[in-house]
Amino acid sequence: MLQVRGLNVRYDKSHVVFDFSVEVEDGKLLAVLGRNGAGKTTIIRGITGLLPGASGSVSVGGRDMSGWPAHRRTRGGLAYVPSGARCFQNLTVDENLEIASHATGGDRSWTKKRIWELFPKLESLKNNMAGGLSGGERQMLALGRALMGNPRVMLLDEPTEGLAPVLVQSIGTLLGTLKSTGVSILLAEQNHQVALRVADRAAFIEKGRIVEVLPAARARDSEVLHRILGV
Amino acid sequence: MTPGQVLLFAVGGLANAAYLFIVAAGLSLVFGALRVINMAHGSLYMIAAFVTVVIGNQLGAGLGFWGGMLVAVAVAGAIGGVVEVLVLRRVYGREHLVQLLGTYAVSLIIAGAVRIVFGANYRTIVSPIPGHIDLGGYSYASYSLFMIAAAIAIGGGVWAMLYRTNLGRNIRAAVADPDLLNATGVNVTRLYTTVFVIGAALAGLGGSIVAPSQAVGSSIDTDVLVLAFAISVIGGLGSIVGSAVGALIVGMVISFGLVIPATNPFALAFVFIIMTAVLIVRPRGLFGLPES
Repeated sequence: MLQVRGLNVRYDKSHVVFDFSVEVEDGKLLAVLGRNGAGKTTIIRGITGLLPGASGSVSVGGRDMSGWPAHRRTRGGLAYVPSGARCFQNLTVDENLEIASHATGGDRSWTKKRIWELFPKLESLKNNMAGGLSGGERQMLALGRALMGNPRVMLLDEPTEGLAPVLVQSIGTLLGTLKSTGVSILLAEQNHQVALRVADRAAFIEKGRIVEVLPAARARDSEVLHRILGV
Repeated sequence: MTPGQVLLFAVGGLANAAYLFIVAAGLSLVFGALRVINMAHGSLYMIAAFVTVVIGNQLGAGLGFWGGMLVAVAVAGAIGGVVEVLVLRRVYGREHLVQLLGTYAVSLIIAGAVRIVFGANYRTIVSPIPGHIDLGGYSYASYSLFMIAAAIAIGGGVWAMLYRTNLGRNIRAAVADPDLLNATGVNVTRLYTTVFVIGAALAGLGGSIVAPSQAVGSSIDTDVLVLAFAISVIGGLGSIVGSAVGALIVGMVISFGLVIPATNPFALAFVFIIMTAVLIVRPRGLFGLPES
């Protein structure tokens, strides 16, 4: 389970995230929805420990990670899939997966074999440089790299951005599968249709603050969805 | 110039290239991973050269050199670690000018300390591999051939470390995206210290290896730093292959430039003419990657 309490993020004198508090139970998915610039990416990066200006508490499975640097939080079960399908472009596909596996160590429920089964295309590209992959292939690799850390909690920042509809569909299916394995997921998305299809709850963000948290079924036709996302 | 003379001067150029490559490889490795231009790199080279001479002579010329070399590389690496923790951690992510000033300040402190500890006189150490090899009517110093072989072995070692070890894979990943590497579970802070220590140890190795072939004085830091920068600019900062090619070019230009009477006064100038030409035609150097 992911628990975030009173997350505040400041860049120099600018206060950009205000008292963000959520809980995501095991096997559940919380969608964080908001317009561009609402603070979704900053919230996720604040939880990962990558922002020095972030304060508040973060715990995974009851273990308090507040004050831990990012690499320690990852080893403690927190996986981050950044936007833009970021991967190590000068490393091969195989090396991208190895780096996560070696860094996190410990229990190996996710292996390269399982990643190849999940994304068969990646296995045929395993000796290719990540920089030469298509956007969809890089997104698969980014997800595979995060899974190789055997996470208990996954933080995904717009994983469907710029992808073809068929790939968006498969990512939605994958998220459903991950939930069934007990992984807690926090998904920041602009594509509310995909997010609400797999989410259990949705938190609506405006100017760095949560304005409402609703069950996904209610969020789909809510007033706040229309107001915040303009749909 | 006869073929025998060409071979003689080419071997001289290779011997120059050998120690310059070792030093430039360290500079380049640090820049590639940390994006910091280390102005104190020459100072670590100088300290190692002095330590090698002093310890080597105390242990006994010849075999004592190897003991001196071990201590010198360890000292350079340890000072590098201290500099990284105390200075560089405060300037990562800042503009290059701040980093240059920070490491330049370190180089001034080290230069002053070296003068206090070792004095201003030049020091020498007897070659641990004496003798010559005769070929085609010319004699080649055995130690020069050792320097060339050592540089090839060290270059191969650095390549193997970068492409055949977990540490090397992490270093290459840090070059691409240190933030993502951190979020993948790698302690990037510790990795940076390790890289800087390796870079400093390479500077030390260069200084130690060159000690038996040159007089060691308190100005060799700037001499080598200027050449190592030229090599890195020509080959491309951040590229080990570029360091090797750059060192070959600089070593050969100096060797042949000095022996041809017409070019003797301008031998060093040619290095910087080539550097300027590379900067104009290919600003990132022959093998350099664009800065992300």
